[in-house]
Amino acid sequence: MQEPVLQVEDLHVTFHTDLGTTPAVRGLSYALPKGKILAVVGESGSGKTVQALAILNLLPSTAQVTGGKILYQGKNLLALKNAQLRRIRGKKIAMIFQDPGASLNPVLTIGEQLCETLHAHEKISKPTARKRAAELLSQVGIQDAEKRLDEYPFQFSGGMCQRVMIAMALALHPDVLIADEPTTALDVTVQAQILKLMKDLQRQNGMSVIFITHNLAVAAQVADEVLVLYAGQCMEHAPAAELFKQPFHPYTQGLLNSLASVHKKVEKLPAIAGNPPRPGEVLPGCPFAPRCAHAQARCFEQCPPLYTNSFRRTRCFLQEGK
Amino acid sequence: MMRFLLRRLCLLPLVVLGVTFLLFFLTQRLSPEMRASLYVKDPRQMGALEEVIRQYGLRDNVFRQYGRWLKNVAHGDLGYSPSANMPVAQALKKYLPATIQLAFVTMVLVVFFGVWFGAASAVHKDKWQDNVARLVSVGGFSLPIFVLGLLLLMVFYGKLHWFSPGGYSIQTDIIIHGAGFKTYTGFLLVDSLLNGQWRVFGDVLNHLVLPALTLCIGSFALMVRVMRSSMLEELGKDYVRTARAKGLTEYQVIYKHAGKNAIIPVITLAGIQFIRLLGGTVIVETIFDYPGIGRFGVLAAQQLDIAGILGFSLLVAVLFVVGNLLCDLLYTAADPRIRLE
Repeated sequence: MQEPVLQVEDLHVTFHTDLGTTPAVRGLSYALPKGKILAVVGESGSGKTVQALAILNLLPSTAQVTGGKILYQGKNLLALKNAQLRRIRGKKIAMIFQDPGASLNPVLTIGEQLCETLHAHEKISKPTARKRAAELLSQVGIQDAEKRLDEYPFQFSGGMCQRVMIAMALALHPDVLIADEPTTALDVTVQAQILKLMKDLQRQNGMSVIFITHNLAVAAQVADEVLVLYAGQCMEHAPAAELFKQPFHPYTQGLLNSLASVHKKVEKLPAIAGNPPRPGEVLPGCPFAPRCAHAQARCFEQCPPLYTNSFRRTRCFLQEGK
Repeated sequence: MMRFLLRRLCLLPLVVLGVTFLLFFLTQRLSPEMRASLYVKDPRQMGALEEVIRQYGLRDNVFRQYGRWLKNVAHGDLGYSPSANMPVAQALKKYLPATIQLAFVTMVLVVFFGVWFGAASAVHKDKWQDNVARLVSVGGFSLPIFVLGLLLLMVFYGKLHWFSPGGYSIQTDIIIHGAGFKTYTGFLLVDSLLNGQWRVFGDVLNHLVLPALTLCIGSFALMVRVMRSSMLEELGKDYVRTARAKGLTEYQVIYKHAGKNAIIPVITLAGIQFIRLLGGTVIVETIFDYPGIGRFGVLAAQQLDIAGILGFSLLVAVLFVVGNLLCDLLYTAADPRIRLE
């Protein structure tokens, strides 16, 4: 197997609020292979965004990394000083966000925001930066790029804004792109266009992508590997094709069952009964046990380890000895 | 844009008519004799009272009198102000620059320090910087202007002799009324520099400091509050996270990105406060005996100088409408999303 670009080791992130401390990510580990897309899948509150924000230390002030390492080029990102991390942000590891409209500064022109990224990491003249910015815009499929550089985000549609965000993120050919629900706020046709654009650009640049989504269908379209998060823990991590063909973990099975399909005709889509643990609630056993149809007595007492089976990892006692 | 300007300018005569008619109507509650008496200085000529009333038609119907006043105003004649001993128009022209000067210096101080303290307060939320700014702004809110003005006078004039109250020094008066002193703008602060009169500049500035500080405090408190909350809101927004993710320095993130958005409500506030200061420096100008239109208005009111009061109100109304218009224009410059329709 290839050397991974980015490695997350035993990451713990905790929120400190007036109501007490809430663990959001509990002992998450994964390796991001070079040139691959890893989809991190989970429902709201599963910690998928939080773990991504931790990579670039963009967590809100209420959250704190309480343990673990994030290794990039042999350096632990969590131990870097702000000035050192700044040289990595945007240049080596770039990020795009869920709400493209809100992620761009409303009072700066698109050109200013694009050029600013270039100026932050490279010593280039203003005209050169502008020329590069226009090239980037046409690269992500925006017509009339030169003219549109002087427009403001409110003059762009949601899909266009996300294209700008992608252009901005890819401006300096980063090794890693973290995409936090990049298509969630867009309508379905635009979603497909953006996914295609991202995949094309990823292949061209050979970069690695952490693709965060709650949408398994989207994950199936883009991912090489899928990591399923539940209550801040990795439940299942497998190559995408295998995971969708045969999910091991009952939670993943439940998620896949609840997907609508054009081939099956059903009256009502099956849903996983119950609710995920409330924030701050830490169960002694498997966090999914109360909702699991296969749960045994020991599932409630003891959290199963991640069982590794060739390229797959599964946190379930059912995989014991397999 | 043009339509917006025209529509807003149509508002001008309405506001001016409303304000002046209201005041005019109120002054009619005074008997014609009382209104006429101000123009008769010598008690031995009280018999002339009736002649004044007749000459100026003071017993006429209020609308006729108001119409006459309006007609004169349209010809640039605002009447004669006995309290200032000169025509009202001339008095306003003489006193307005001093007030604008005072309001301007005050606003520069308020905006500069208000934005700075407010931003620092938000960036260092709940740290000592925030606590100091909050303390200062609560203090500023709760300190009445006349108390602060008198305190400053007592300390800096009475005890320390650092600054002087009242009109300009005699030397200054002699110089500015002398033949060699050219009036370029009417603003003494600027004119003294253009004339190369450093002593005059120093004296004018010296007279400006205490009133400006006094006027500052209330507006400053409000400015800090608005800037703080606006900055806090902006710092929590998604684009700030994007700016950080791009690898910008914290300074760029805070001042270029969040700051540019946070300043928008401050611009409106600053505009409104500036306009308010132009008409509302009455108390401070009176305390410091500062030669501006506020003091002119007070003297006119005290002596029932009706022409003076009407002229003062007319000016304040015009300033208010025009100032608000400028404020809106400034707003569009700061926020590209706002287009005036």
